[in-house]
Amino acid sequence: MDPINPWLDPVEVRRLAERLMTPLRNPDLVVSDAGFDPVFVGYEAMRPVVEQQPTVWPASSSSHVVMPAEIVAPPTIERKPEHTEEPPAVPFQAVQAPVPGNAARGPFLDRINRLSDWLKHNFSATDIFILDREGAVIFDESGHGKLHFLARSLALASRRPGEPAENVHVKVGAGATLEVIPVETPYGCLVLGAVVPDSLTPASVSAVKDAIIQVASPR
Amino acid sequence: MRQNSTPSVISIAVSSQKGGVGKTTVSINLAHAFARAGVKTLLLDADPQGSVGLSLTRQSRLLAGFYDYLADPGTPLDRLIVPTRLETFSLVACGQASDYEAGGGGLGTHLARVRSFLRSVSARGFDLCIIDTAAGLFGVTGDVIASSDAVMIPQQAEPLGIRSVPKLLEGLNRLRVMNPRLNVLGVCLTMVQNDLAESTEAASALRLLLPPEMVFRTQVPRDGLFVRASARGLPIGVMEEGAGAQVVFDSLRSEIESKLEPREGYRSLS
Repeated sequence: MDPINPWLDPVEVRRLAERLMTPLRNPDLVVSDAGFDPVFVGYEAMRPVVEQQPTVWPASSSSHVVMPAEIVAPPTIERKPEHTEEPPAVPFQAVQAPVPGNAARGPFLDRINRLSDWLKHNFSATDIFILDREGAVIFDESGHGKLHFLARSLALASRRPGEPAENVHVKVGAGATLEVIPVETPYGCLVLGAVVPDSLTPASVSAVKDAIIQVASPR
Repeated sequence: MRQNSTPSVISIAVSSQKGGVGKTTVSINLAHAFARAGVKTLLLDADPQGSVGLSLTRQSRLLAGFYDYLADPGTPLDRLIVPTRLETFSLVACGQASDYEAGGGGLGTHLARVRSFLRSVSARGFDLCIIDTAAGLFGVTGDVIASSDAVMIPQQAEPLGIRSVPKLLEGLNRLRVMNPRLNVLGVCLTMVQNDLAESTEAASALRLLLPPEMVFRTQVPRDGLFVRASARGLPIGVMEEGAGAQVVFDSLRSEIESKLEPREGYRSLS
């Protein structure tokens, strides 16, 4: 007795095999990476751009924070006083002028702490942390390993060959979004993670990136 | 080897519908054959059973590996790579995190992380990544195939194995929808016993069943030498009496090279 053919349909097998050998019509199709929860709301670069005025680093609630002499502040946007009943669309729109000064910048940790204050003040950020290029936690106010893990995953997934990493965000609760911002700095790629009420606008992300680069730049 | 400096690894998944067909033996010895030919090769153990590690290193139960990366993609690749005495041959063990700790889940669950891993392998300068997968075409194995450039299928030369071929082909056709670039290199007959009629008949039946270009001309014989090589933790080509068997894998390597379409950045692998 034939031990093979009675057990299968040779015509069907041949058809399946030949289909495998035939190039698919659109081999250049880029299949999106999967692997996120349904709450993943997409890459910032893909979201519609909403014009918002950028915030400026450093702008701190504490007036004694000084601007290092050697760092040129990003240009601030002058705003004419307007009388309007309309409240700001989001609570962190106010542009704070940098505080002039020429004192020393201070140790790295102090600069990160000032960055943290700035993020809290301007973006209502909480649970702020920074990962280094190897994914190790170098600054943490969250104490949540799962947030670090999520940020590492998102930062890796946002990388595209030959392109700088994009910021990514994911909803982590009602009114809470984990914003993950990878930034190339003189110390390598640092990944800022922070929980904010809503995802940051492109302009705000840009301001945060500038701030991180300044914080992570040697004197 | 490379025409330009664009990093681009070629990844080949070694997969099958059925277990026990010789995937690990083929993976180890094929990777060694490429490395011997000067191709910078990474052998990746994506089978949670850890057979590659158990075959080649006594420390496999301590090594972090692929499933640890899937559990935490922040793990740097350099911490996972185990060098060998052959400069062009490295391996990554399966690791300590089981597939369940890595989240389990169905097809697509680990796709992003598998692709991220392969990007890291590419950035690390490897030319070739041979991936020994677990049996079946689902879960992490499905994600590996859906992320690889090519797949080769070891198939034991015995009737039961051949009967599983339709299911295998259906599975690969499904995965090609996820990965249209997937190059199906073909089926490689393994454990062929020329002194056993059922074995040679099964091999002949498979060759009649499938298009010729889908079955490797090279066959891997059943040989006690494979067991002895495994016992010593060595690829068969390293064994004193392994020269004959090495010819088989050199031949398989040549066939694979001819099946890999020229890609940007490559003239040929070796």
